[in-house]
Amino acid sequence: MPERLANRIKDRRTELGLTQAELAERVGVTRKTVNTVENNVFTPSATLAIKLAHALGLAVEQLFWIES
Amino acid sequence: MKAFLIGLLMGFGAVLAIAVVMKVRQRNMPMSVAEKADYLSTRRARMLPALAVIFLSQQATFLSTISSSAPHSADGAKISAWLALSIILLFALSTKGFWFERKEVRDLLDDENTRSNRNDGMRWGFLSSMAAAIAVYALTLFDAMVTARDAVHIVMTAGIAVALIRWGLLERRALRDA
Repeated sequence: MPERLANRIKDRRTELGLTQAELAERVGVTRKTVNTVENNVFTPSATLAIKLAHALGLAVEQLFWIES
Repeated sequence: MKAFLIGLLMGFGAVLAIAVVMKVRQRNMPMSVAEKADYLSTRRARMLPALAVIFLSQQATFLSTISSSAPHSADGAKISAWLALSIILLFALSTKGFWFERKEVRDLLDDENTRSNRNDGMRWGFLSSMAAAIAVYALTLFDAMVTARDAVHIVMTAGIAVALIRWGLLERRALRDA
């Protein structure tokens, strides 16, 4: 069975009252990249995953997990 | 030779004119670096398939002259215009593009997702070039007359056009909300 990297970026972002554009600016990427990671279209690198987790005030494993 | 130069200049001139028009239009829209990157990212997603269509439509004139043995002066201009456009598109595919923008905007425009999409486009372009090369090679086995220039033209066109279309489609998909 194929594995995929799931995340709770959208939930956490909404909790903090951030828009995709605001989160993108904090991380240093475009809104498009945040959108694709959030919707599981794009699997981020470890660097971007850590940056996203840091920007959302969570540990990487709290924000991302492997789903099979 | 003169026709080739005219075509080459026309090709580069057209691209320069497009860049100037884009710059003038943006001057009336004060934006932050992030907003500008988002704006240009959306434009790029729309532009890439359009560029592929323009590039492919140029081939219609080439294909109409491929069988004629006697070269015309106008053909030289068309071929060099195609060469100029090919070089510019290759540069756009292999660099960050938007050469007239500030470094911060260009860096943001070339973020992780864009690099991934571009690399995927390049992979598809490479495979298409190889497929086109195999097809041309197979054609020559059946005594079809294909000159070296024709072969290069076909292989380059297949590679560049497919890379542009694939990259454009991935960029459009990335901008779509779920």
